[in-house]
Amino acid sequence: MSLLHLHLLLNHLPTVAFGLAAGLLVVSWLGRSEDLKRASCVLLFIIALVAIPTYVTGDAARFALRDREDVSADLIAAHREAAMLALIPMQMTGALAWIAVWRFRRWILPALVALSFGTLALMARAATVGGGIRHPEVLGKAAMSGWPDAAAIGAALVLDYPWVWPICEVFHFVGLCLLFGVVLLVNLRVLGVLRGVAFADVSRLMPWALLGFIINVVTGMLFFLAAPDQYTQNSAFAWKIGLVVTAGATLIYPVASEELRGLKPDAAASATARLVAAASVLLWTAVIFLGRFLPYLGSE
Amino acid sequence: MESALAQLEQSGIATWIRESGVLHGYPLVLFLHTLGLSTLVGLNAAIDLRLLGVAAGIPLASLRRTFSLMWAGLGLNAATGTLLFMADATRHASNPAFYVKLVFVALAVVLLTQIWRRVFGADGSGKLLAAASLVCWFVALSAGRLMAYISEFVS
Repeated sequence: MSLLHLHLLLNHLPTVAFGLAAGLLVVSWLGRSEDLKRASCVLLFIIALVAIPTYVTGDAARFALRDREDVSADLIAAHREAAMLALIPMQMTGALAWIAVWRFRRWILPALVALSFGTLALMARAATVGGGIRHPEVLGKAAMSGWPDAAAIGAALVLDYPWVWPICEVFHFVGLCLLFGVVLLVNLRVLGVLRGVAFADVSRLMPWALLGFIINVVTGMLFFLAAPDQYTQNSAFAWKIGLVVTAGATLIYPVASEELRGLKPDAAASATARLVAAASVLLWTAVIFLGRFLPYLGSE
Repeated sequence: MESALAQLEQSGIATWIRESGVLHGYPLVLFLHTLGLSTLVGLNAAIDLRLLGVAAGIPLASLRRTFSLMWAGLGLNAATGTLLFMADATRHASNPAFYVKLVFVALAVVLLTQIWRRVFGADGSGKLLAAASLVCWFVALSAGRLMAYISEFVS
């Protein structure tokens, strides 16, 4: 299996599953169901994470199809442009959904519903153009639009100014420290290494881990946009992205778990919570490992 | 000085890290260096945030045990940092960013010992120490990351 196949596997998920999660969110709003609301937010967060490999594997597919005369390069470019325009609000929705799970505020729900349906429309547009790559008969001229090409803007930012890449590297490390440090501290409490503090108090630090993660998704995406083929043709990169999604998913666990929310200062966490905590720290360590080995391993 | 640096570079262990490819020596040391820094700087940043008033409900006493992990991170990075320096001694020794990094790491470590003594030991307010600590780590991290670019610029 290659990244191209992975793109075919993943590409319906952000549209279909995101639509379902957004629908569930509305149902939870109308039905005033707290559990359903939290479940839809967790789903929105995780689907937003899965959208990241969906996007980057698309560039692997573009690379694989570059010499095919029966595939329109213009349509691929239009699909890529539409996908980035959907990916950005989808990441915002995911981040807001995370915040809603962490500390719910009244204004979040309408904002989240509006944002997720706006994203869904853009996602559907990207999916339509994407489907048109192999089935041009379903597509009119509408696909070729004058909408902003966010991917090209990002790539130009990095390529036109030589200092942008090094600055992004600095911030990739700032984000890494924030993310790893806070995740480590919070999970040390779950594991029982730190005691004498209620979990709810420690988890007040969690948004700083999310901030670190956001910084790294943004800077990482800028690296990718500037040199997509360098990454899609690197086998270590595929593993890193897979681990980023898995490790990223563990960020929602400490804030979503009922058990941990109510964990008293000297109480021990359950075996399940400890297992997730240990997995979270190990997964982020593996992400750092692959990030460091990426230039050395994958291009052999 | 020049010859001492060159000798360091030619030593067995420096050559092994740089050239052998056994166990992927160079990226392996680089990974351990990154793991050490994310443990030390990450935990220290989280403590700084707490001292600045984020998550103020966390009792300081419950954070005492993180210090042994931070010192372990520092130890790991002193060791891996020495190895990385040996692998490219002449290039690093002529790189101003390297010295900036060393100075700010040292300052940040001194600040951490002061946080331990004055805030965790004697109930002092740690706001100023915490803010200075964040600034020092940011400068140290930036200088470290930019070393590769600045060494190209210098030579």
